Amino acid sequence: MRNAYLDQFPDEARVIKAAFWSSFIALAIGGVLGLVQALHRTDVFRFIQSPDYYTVLTAHGVLLVIVFTIFFLVGTFTWAVTTSLDRGVVDTRFTWAWYIMMVIGAALAGITIFSGFLESAPSILGSELNADVLFTFYAPLEAHPFFYIGLVVFVVGSWLAGVDWFRTWLAWRRENPDERIPLPTFMVLTTTLFWYICTLGVSLSILVFLLPWSLGITESVNPLLTRTMFWYFGHAVVYFWLMPAYLMWYTMLPKFSGGKLFSDPLARVVFVLFLLLSTPLGIHHQYLDPGIAEGYKFIAMTNTMFLLLPSLLTAFTVVASMEHGARQRGGEGYLGWLKALPWRDPIFTGMALAGLMFAAAGFSGMINAGMNINYLVHNTWWVVGHFHLTVGTAVALTFMAASYWFIPQLTGKELWNRSVALGQVVLWFIGMTFMTNAMHRSGLFGLPRRTAEPQYQGFDFEPAVGTVGEINMQVALGAVILTLSLALFLLNMVMTSIGSNSESIPDNTYADTLSGAEDSPRILDNLKLWTAIAVVLVIIAYTLPLASIIDAGGLFGPDIEGFRLSTWVDPAVIESLSEVIR
Amino acid sequence: MRISKGALLVVVAFLVPFVVEFRTALSWFGIKLSILESLALGGVLVIGLLLWAVWPEDGNGGTGAAGSS
Ligand code: HEM
Ligand SMILES: [Cu+2]
Repeated sequence: MRNAYLDQFPDEARVIKAAFWSSFIALAIGGVLGLVQALHRTDVFRFIQSPDYYTVLTAHGVLLVIVFTIFFLVGTFTWAVTTSLDRGVVDTRFTWAWYIMMVIGAALAGITIFSGFLESAPSILGSELNADVLFTFYAPLEAHPFFYIGLVVFVVGSWLAGVDWFRTWLAWRRENPDERIPLPTFMVLTTTLFWYICTLGVSLSILVFLLPWSLGITESVNPLLTRTMFWYFGHAVVYFWLMPAYLMWYTMLPKFSGGKLFSDPLARVVFVLFLLLSTPLGIHHQYLDPGIAEGYKFIAMTNTMFLLLPSLLTAFTVVASMEHGARQRGGEGYLGWLKALPWRDPIFTGMALAGLMFAAAGFSGMINAGMNINYLVHNTWWVVGHFHLTVGTAVALTFMAASYWFIPQLTGKELWNRSVALGQVVLWFIGMTFMTNAMHRSGLFGLPRRTAEPQYQGFDFEPAVGTVGEINMQVALGAVILTLSLALFLLNMVMTSIGSNSESIPDNTYADTLSGAEDSPRILDNLKLWTAIAVVLVIIAYTLPLASIIDAGGLFGPDIEGFRLSTWVDPAVIESLSEVIR
Repeated sequence: MRISKGALLVVVAFLVPFVVEFRTALSWFGIKLSILESLALGGVLVIGLLLWAVWPEDGNGGTGAAGSS
């Protein structure tokens, strides 16, 4: 009897499949735009106008780091909760509801961005439909209200997804009052909790400041305040993308290596640390922002360095589990066991290469995190190189490799072609090597990010090694290889989905542990306690900086009380009023 | 074969970051490889690796396959 996910939870499988396909569509469009950017910037091949570059860049950023990652996340988490609790969600209609909400939000934001390409975009609600604001939507860049509304609808959809997971867990809890939370569910719940904490900031920023401003209700905003509220969310969101990848590394990779997870307690500690520390360090993205005192930046830097701990714990646990697997498969010697790993398996190899690139990203990340050395690389292509290793590879490549496991589980169809899949993950690794190496190097001589025209007149960059031309070629080559890899991935997904049913899909299980939940202190499962501490840390880290930003720049900008009085009151009345006061 | 085909593919892929980063690192010591030289270095390494991989382990006809799948 086949016992794939589809057989256990047919209704949930349909929602998860829909979420994955939504994420693949975002990946496909976003990835192609990445190639457009790479070729345009390097002047290899240009077919868009430079002003349109920023529309492309906004779409690339939003589609990949918001839509692709989060749709994949909600699919993975729903799979993890139902699989590890061994029960379905409470009500699949609710599950469909949040999924559809997320689709509506993503579509609204997406359409608004893409209408930036139109010669004359339609005017709705009194302003032109476009959103060339990049995925960070910093004021004073202003988007059409639909962009902000779309983002909020999308995020609220993800909140409801969290409600769904908590609800399912509580239902399970009533049936199993004394059991420990299964590890995958524990990971989902802790991640959801910090998602609530961090999205609160960005939602407030949108609903109170940016949306009223773009609707013309308020006159202006305090850009530093909205930036700070963005980064309050902006660092935690990078862990939000990363946690499903971690979940796969902890609960699936050991199994694919042929062994067991080294330690369940250690995994719980790591996720608790992420819950505590993901948010109170967002200011490390603002080292160069004037208007925030050095002391607060220093606190953010210290918290960031603490966050290295869970990452190092993860590296240790995951490698130890892989070694255990390799030894189960007959591997021997200090390093000889590496040979015994299942390198022909695209799922394993994809995740292992993703993890390896993540280690490299850790090194460039430490440089970003250092307050003084950050000044060297801030806003250069170094940073872009860094996050194509983190979210662009550690996350994206893990997701693609995981899809080779998920899609057969969800459709009951065998993967179309495993060799193509193996080639695909290896190509991604090679393409990213070329592209990110060149990006990092160019950052060191100050090549700026986020510009269609990186060359200035009367000024030449001086690379320490090679030439700018050579670096450009390396980026273009990497981008072409990446796009090829992406095409192979999508081909495999489509061909698998239209293939025929197979009886030989492996059972839907996750990795056993060498040291299990019974070895971990009960207090680790006390989610209320950790949430409370996380909130306290956030308050400590943010109260004073926010207070001083508001004090210096006003809640809605300097000397602005918030409401555009003229919309309500006849200007003549104000005139005479001020006459009286004078 | 000394290692499985899958492992061989991964090791060859690994040479790419190795050569790319090695070239950067060498330049710190004043040794600047041109693109062609780097390509040649990569080629030599790949060929060396392939030879090593397919060479019989102990001269008994290459039946000692390690790590399958
Ligand atoms: C086909 C593969 C990809 C290529 C060729 C590519 C290329 C690029 C390039 C050239 C830039 C820099 C633009 C600039 O600084 O002017 C960029 C920015 C960016 N990429 Fe990618 N990328 C790819 C995949 C990804 C993936 C998979 C992700 C995330 C999951 C990602 C996330 C981002 C983000 C967040 C930015 C910054 C956008 C901004 O500055 O507002 N990229 N990409
Ligand atoms: Cu950060």
